[in-house]
Amino acid sequence: MSAKPKLKSIWVFHLNTGSCNGCDIEIIDVLTPYYDIERLGVKLVGSPRHAHAMLISGPLTRQAYYGAKMAIKAMPPEPRIMVAIGTCVCSGGIFYNGYPIYRRPESGREGNEYPRLGGIIELLKDLRDEGVKVGPVIYIPGCPPRPEEIIYGIAQLAGLVEKRLSYQEYSDEFVKFRLPEGPVEERIVLTLREKLRHVVGYLDRDAILEEFMKLVEKAEKSENPREELRKLINEYSSKQRDMRIVFCMRLLESEYWRIKDAISAGKEFVYWI
Amino acid sequence: MPVTLKYPFVKITAPPEYRGIPQIDPTLCIGCAACVNACPPDAILRIDDYDRGTRKIVLDIGRCIRCARCEEVCPTRAIKLTNFFEAASPDRRDHVEVVELRLVKCKGCGRYADFTGRQVQKALKIVPKEIIEKEALDDKVYLCRDCKRKETVDFTIEASKEVVP
Repeated sequence: MSAKPKLKSIWVFHLNTGSCNGCDIEIIDVLTPYYDIERLGVKLVGSPRHAHAMLISGPLTRQAYYGAKMAIKAMPPEPRIMVAIGTCVCSGGIFYNGYPIYRRPESGREGNEYPRLGGIIELLKDLRDEGVKVGPVIYIPGCPPRPEEIIYGIAQLAGLVEKRLSYQEYSDEFVKFRLPEGPVEERIVLTLREKLRHVVGYLDRDAILEEFMKLVEKAEKSENPREELRKLINEYSSKQRDMRIVFCMRLLESEYWRIKDAISAGKEFVYWI
Repeated sequence: MPVTLKYPFVKITAPPEYRGIPQIDPTLCIGCAACVNACPPDAILRIDDYDRGTRKIVLDIGRCIRCARCEEVCPTRAIKLTNFFEAASPDRRDHVEVVELRLVKCKGCGRYADFTGRQVQKALKIVPKEIIEKEALDDKVYLCRDCKRKETVDFTIEASKEVVP
């Protein structure tokens, strides 16, 4: 946003350019009494001729391209704001290399450029080539974005909040590398982590594995680690209410001793998918 | 009783399991590009520059669909989905995060190999200490693929001469 538009109330027109309707549902959510975007002066109008801003969703299919172009040209020339809602409009999203998606001939589908091209960016380039003036564009990524994210984007247009993200670049020379040290060998930890991924998924596995490693560290200090670990896990399970975590702990215990036995016998222990 | 959320005027945090925007921790990333292979919409890129000897891991939030496959495959837990969601911005460049890592310079031919120094450190940590001697490993690890192959062939020829004179 180069200059802050002095807009008190933005009238918006909702345009779908071939989206999966996820973002459209979130746009409707924003208009409901719970989120109530109308308190910022935003009103949904039925024609692009009445609209200040265009709420666009969808990855811009070839068929929607001509309609979208006509709708944008029909808007009044000032301020002609574009609000790109969803990952698809920002850069093509998951559909980025699909055959029905419109891409300019020079912006290929398999390039290594960044920020990534696609979506409304292609249409805006075409419009600028034709000499059509387009006002500020605001990109709201998300698949779909929460209603709060959309409100945050529109509040930026109204000048209520500032943007919080910025371009970040880190280099090897300035950021020091850190390898986390653990009490257990790295190859055992990685194998257990892979086993746990199939049981509980990505979200909870690191927390569960960390708990288990603490118990192992305690047990390995004692004279009889097998008995000690069994005792510690029984103790942990009696406090834990979630049966899924108890199951994971028991599974990890049996896996841990399987790996240890295989290593001492000189056999292969890696968990192959 | 009013039900309307006073959102842009009050702070709201998403629940901890919410799939917000992903972030790369540059202190943990080894540049193995496992996330690049897993990413369905190509939101993460690997750009190798063999002249300057750098590898760039580029993450574009504007292409990300928050499927968390990158978090699932990351071996060092470097990339993670945060519950931060206020990503709207008028500039698409704001959505990009770049992590630049040094590639290994081959001890044999002096060109840059296709792996980073951090990858070697991570691999050395996984390899059990008792299998290979440390001195022999240090010589071999910092060679590029071509030099390693050449050395293996030379070694095999030398060894076969002893058997078949």
